[in-house]
Amino acid sequence: MKKKVIGLIDGQSGNIGSINKAIKDIIKGRPYQLKIIKSHFNYTSFDKIILPGQGAYATLMSNLKKFKIIQPLKKYLENNSSYLGICVGMQILSDWGYEDKTTRGLGIISGDIKKFRNKKLIIPHMGWNTINLNKDDIIITNSFDKKDFYFVHSYIFQNIKKSDVLAFTLYGQKFPSIVKKGNIYGVQFHPEKSHKHGLNLIKNYILKS
Amino acid sequence: MLKTRIIPCLDIIKNKVVKGVNFKNIRVMGNAVEMAKYYSLSGADELCMLDINASYQNRKTFIKTVESIAKVINIPLTVGGGVSDLSDITDLLNAGADKVSINSAAVKNPKLIRQASLRHGSQCIVVAIDGKRHKNKMKVVIKGGREITKNELITWAKQVQSLGAGEILMTSMDTDGVQNGFDSNMLKKVTSNVSIPVVASGGVGSLEHFYLGHLTKSTGLLAASVFHSRKYKIKTVKKYLSSKGVPVRL
Repeated sequence: MKKKVIGLIDGQSGNIGSINKAIKDIIKGRPYQLKIIKSHFNYTSFDKIILPGQGAYATLMSNLKKFKIIQPLKKYLENNSSYLGICVGMQILSDWGYEDKTTRGLGIISGDIKKFRNKKLIIPHMGWNTINLNKDDIIITNSFDKKDFYFVHSYIFQNIKKSDVLAFTLYGQKFPSIVKKGNIYGVQFHPEKSHKHGLNLIKNYILKS
Repeated sequence: MLKTRIIPCLDIIKNKVVKGVNFKNIRVMGNAVEMAKYYSLSGADELCMLDINASYQNRKTFIKTVESIAKVINIPLTVGGGVSDLSDITDLLNAGADKVSINSAAVKNPKLIRQASLRHGSQCIVVAIDGKRHKNKMKVVIKGGREITKNELITWAKQVQSLGAGEILMTSMDTDGVQNGFDSNMLKKVTSNVSIPVVASGGVGSLEHFYLGHLTKSTGLLAASVFHSRKYKIKTVKKYLSSKGVPVRL
């Protein structure tokens, strides 16, 4: 049987160590192989791509350009191929990011990345918070509803279509914590830091879709 | 709703968790990797580990310990102690730390906070502040409280925020190690003057102390002895806080 190929993009935006290890543990003994993507790649040779990110929107976008990852990634996403974006890896699916400077995103899920509106909030939103599912999904099953995940971010997805929001979280306001369009998923939290529920989510993404 | 984080802190020499405030009567509490694994499994929301004797010889073993711990836990890991420049920060992040905590180096060279947060993002730069009352003022101290700096505590807290720190780890040297509770007064002064998360540290001895720590608006509560001595399990603390209406991850 042909092995499914999972790509993990290293956009030099935070540490990929934890997510790398989580994926390896999940695919051990199963018909999958993991490849780290650090430069231009053939987008037709991947079955799934995971892009973790930390830090700034503009930095990740410019890194992806610099490493010549952006073009094949765009084509991959426009084909509605399976993708999981984590934190900034989710945010860059939007049209525009307004962190530091205005930056054009990948434009896959319409909306903008802007700062939390409430000026009295403690920022970054750092720690464990609950996700509330809007609907059941093959990967984000009902078992994840009302579970806590680890967040660390100051910017959120805004002006997004309601139908693209799979789950929301409350912090001074409602904001999207999981977005989905076709086979493309984005999570605002860090599943690789979110203990067993986080690992289950990554496992579902890899094995169920 | 955002949960209050319960954070066990491991003071480490090489690969051992130790207890001993002034480098005298240092007692080995256990193997660092084993203890980290235990805390991660038993409900810690985050783990903090500090190299309390960051000599050149011990450092290599400490970094290896960070790597080993990062491999066995899947909760956030904050690492500090002996961080003096940008390359130390990069080394720790590469070893698997999610956040790096800077203390005296930031006091000596505040620009380090800006440089580090620009390079790695504010979210992974924690500034640890040790505070102490001196002549009716709250001052910043370094070297475990032995050296009082010219910095006023609140001015410094505001400054580290504006330089790009993503979090403050606030230890009161007036209450640390005494187990009479957090320094509520000092913590409230800090939390009401900054808008970044503050983790309270220093002084926990009872369950009620955790609750009083929460009331200071600190979003993380750090403790060492009460956990290492097995006086309380993390679950016990969380159940208690939950019964008092504090949001925690159960």
